Amino acid sequence: MALSTHTTPSGFLLPSIHSAPPFFTEQPNQSTHAHLTEKWMRLILAYARHKRLFVLRVEDAEVPGGEWDEILRNERINRRILPPYLSSLMAIMVAKNLAVYEPSKQTRAVLLYWRLPEEWADVLHSWATATGQLNTILTFYEISDPPIQSPLSGIPIPLLRRAITILSRSNRAQIIGVADGEGVRFFVG
Amino acid sequence: MALRRYTTSIDGTIPVPALLYDDEEHLASQDGVGIYDGLQKAPDYQTGSVHVSTHRLFFVHSQNPTSYSFTMDLLHVTRTNYYAGLFKSSPKVSLFLDASTALPLTTTSGQRTEIFESWECEVCSHRNPPGLSPAAARICALCGVPRSASAVSTASETSSQIQSLFSSIPESSYTSISSSSSPGPPSPPSTNDDSDGIACPACTFLNHPSLRVCEICTTLLPNIEHAGNMRAKSAPSTRPVSPISDSIDPANLLIKLSFRKGGDKPFYNVLRRALRSRAWEGKRIGHNARSGPSGLAITNPNYGPTPVAMRPSGIDGIMRNVEASAYVTQTDLNDALKDLEGLMMKAKDLVHLAGELNEKLTASSTITTTSTLASPFPTTSSPSTPGTQLSSPFSATTLVPSTEPEEAKFIRSSLAQLGLQMSNAPVTLDMIRDERRWVEELARELAGMLQGFPDDIPGQKSVGIMKDRGIVGLDEVWGGWNRARGVALIPPSTFLQVLPHLPAYTSPPIRSRVFNSGLSVLHIPPYTHASFTARIVGYLAMSGVMTTSQIAREENITIGLADEMIAAIEADGVICRDDERSAIKGGGSGTTSEVRWSRNLFLEYIWDGQL
Repeated sequence: MALSTHTTPSGFLLPSIHSAPPFFTEQPNQSTHAHLTEKWMRLILAYARHKRLFVLRVEDAEVPGGEWDEILRNERINRRILPPYLSSLMAIMVAKNLAVYEPSKQTRAVLLYWRLPEEWADVLHSWATATGQLNTILTFYEISDPPIQSPLSGIPIPLLRRAITILSRSNRAQIIGVADGEGVRFFVG
Repeated sequence: MALRRYTTSIDGTIPVPALLYDDEEHLASQDGVGIYDGLQKAPDYQTGSVHVSTHRLFFVHSQNPTSYSFTMDLLHVTRTNYYAGLFKSSPKVSLFLDASTALPLTTTSGQRTEIFESWECEVCSHRNPPGLSPAAARICALCGVPRSASAVSTASETSSQIQSLFSSIPESSYTSISSSSSPGPPSPPSTNDDSDGIACPACTFLNHPSLRVCEICTTLLPNIEHAGNMRAKSAPSTRPVSPISDSIDPANLLIKLSFRKGGDKPFYNVLRRALRSRAWEGKRIGHNARSGPSGLAITNPNYGPTPVAMRPSGIDGIMRNVEASAYVTQTDLNDALKDLEGLMMKAKDLVHLAGELNEKLTASSTITTTSTLASPFPTTSSPSTPGTQLSSPFSATTLVPSTEPEEAKFIRSSLAQLGLQMSNAPVTLDMIRDERRWVEELARELAGMLQGFPDDIPGQKSVGIMKDRGIVGLDEVWGGWNRARGVALIPPSTFLQVLPHLPAYTSPPIRSRVFNSGLSVLHIPPYTHASFTARIVGYLAMSGVMTTSQIAREENITIGLADEMIAAIEADGVICRDDERSAIKGGGSGTTSEVRWSRNLFLEYIWDGQL
C-alpha cells in the first residue's frame, strides 16, 4: 500500500501516516503505541497551529462536522479515531504539558498548548511593545479581540491569563482590576 | 388330632430352605417317612420327606406337596421316644407334645404373615428386618429390647408365643397364664358377633373383614375377628371343621415319624440335638446363623429354661452387636482382598508370558523374513539369540523358527484380543523402577503417539496425533494419549514432566510452547516463533494486509491458535493491527469486528506532513 501525503481543502498538508489504517487503531503493543501516539500529538498540534484551534474535545471524535474532521477522520481510507483513543491521547498530552484540561476537573476537553504559556507571554509582550501599548491599561478583550488581526486574536482568556501571570512574575505586566472586569498594564521588560 | 393342633399347613412345593427364618438353620432331611397322628396312621401323610431345622419340623408330601405338607414348631415337643423297629414294623420316632402349647385351631398362615413384617424398635428406632423366627422377631435385633407389648399383643397371641416369651417365668405362673384363654386386648364385644365387618376401636367405623387397619383412621383393627375370618378362608378343605373337645388325652398327644426307608438313627440324633439346643428361645440369635450346625455341639448341657436375658441387651448389647458385625465384615473383606491379590499375581504372570511370546514372535518373524526376502517387517526389538530361544518355554512348540507370518499375526491378534498385546502396551510405573527412565519411556511412547509408530503396521505408515499438522494443542495431545493408553492414565503433572524429553525421541523434534494466554502447544520447528514470524512477514509483504482468519487458512491452523501466534508477533512490534471498529462506514461493531494485520512500518516513519 503506497502511503502518500495529502493536502486538505484548508491547505493543511497531511502526513502519509494519516493514510495508514493502523494509525487510527489503538495498538496493544506498547512501543508501537507510544510511537503512534507521538505522531498523533504532533499532527494535532500542527493542525491546531495551522487553523488556530485552541480547544480539542472528545466530542470532536464522536460527532462528525467539527473543525477537527480533517485529521480525526480519513474518508479516503474509511477510518476515524475512536473517542476512547482520542481521550487517552488527550491524557498523554496533558501529562506532557502539551495541553491542559480546561476547565479543570474534567477530561473531555483540553486547551492545547501549541505554544507554551511562556511562548505566549513573549508573543504578548512583543505585541504590546510593537503596537506601543506599554504602560497603558488594556482589558483582556482588547487583547483577544483586537481591531487589527494579531497573533493573539482568538486566544482563550484562561491561556491569556496564564501568559500575563508569567509576565507579571518577571515584572513585565501587572493585572489591574477595572470597572468591567480585569485589565493588564505592560511594562518595559 | 395332635396333627391338627400342633401343625400348620405349608406349601410343600417351596423348597424347605426357602421357608426358613433368617436365624434358622436346616439340619437334616429324610425321605420315605410316614406320619402317625397319635397312635393311628394319618392317612393323608404316609409318603413324604421330613426336614428338621433348629426351630421346626417340616413334612413335605411326595405326591401332593401343596395340600399335605405341614410344619411344626419344635417347642411343642416335650420328649421323644425312639423305637428301633421289629420285623415289618419300621423304626419310629415318637414326639410327645406339650398339651399347654397347642395352637388354637384358628392359627393359620394369616398369622404367619403378621410376623413376617419389618418393624421399628421403639427404643432405638432400629428397623428390624422381616424373616426372623417368631422368638427372634419379638426382640429388637440391635438393642435386645422386646417389641412393644401393644404391637405384639394385637397379633392375636397364641399360647405358643406366650410360652417362649415367658419361658423364664416359674412353671406355676406360666401354666396359669397359658391355660387361660387368649390374653390379647379385650376386643369390643360388638366386633365378635358382627360378621359383616370389624368395628374400629377408635372411630367405630365398620371395616371390611379383610382389612387390618381401619380404612378411616388407620388404627390397627382387633385381630381376633380377623383371624377367625382367615380360618374360614384358608383352612385346608380336607380338614373338616368340627367342634373340638377341649379334653385331650395326653397319651394321644404325640406324633410318630415312621422311617420306612431307614435313616432313622442319624435323623433322631439331629432332632435330639435340635431339641436340646432350644434355638427357638432366641438365646443364641445371631450366632446360630453363622456358626452353623456345629454350633449345636456347644449347647447348654442343662436343659433348664434359659432366661431370655442371656441375650445381651441395652447399650452393651448394641456395642457387642456392632463389634461382632464389624469383625465379620473385616474378615470377609480381608478374604476378598487376599483373593484379589492372588488374582493380580496371576495376571502379572500372564502379562509376562504374553510379553515373552510376543518377543519370540518378533524374533522369529525377523529370522524367517530375512532368510527369504528383504525384510518388509521393521522390528522394534532386537532379535534374541538362538540360545535364549532354545531355553524359552516356547521353543518346544512349532512356533519359533518355522512360524509363518500368518500364524504369527494370528497369535498376535489373539493376544491383542485378550488385552495382552505388548508392542504398544502402555508403559506403567511398575514396569520401570527408575523414575528418570520411566519419564523417558513415556516420552518415547508419546513420541510414537504423536508421529505414529513407524513399525506399527508393516508396510503402512501410520499417522499419530499430529497427522499432517505441525502444531497441536496440549490438551488434545493429553486426551488422545490417555485415550490410547486406556489404562494407567497419565496425570497432567507427569505429562508436563515428559514434554522436555520429547525432542530426543521425535524427528523432526517436537517442542512445547506456552503462549501468553496460557495456551500450550506442541509443534515442529516450522512453527517456532521465529520461523512463523518470518512467514507472516512474508505474507504481509506480498499482500499488504491480512486478517486473522486469512492467516489461519494460509497456515492451516485453527483461528484461535493463529490468534495466539499473531499476538506473540504483535508483542514483538513486527506487525500492527487495524481494527475495523475504527471504520467510518460499515465495519464491525463490538466483538464481531475483524482485525487486519499489516507490517509495522511506523517505527521507521519520518514525518512528512506539515510542520
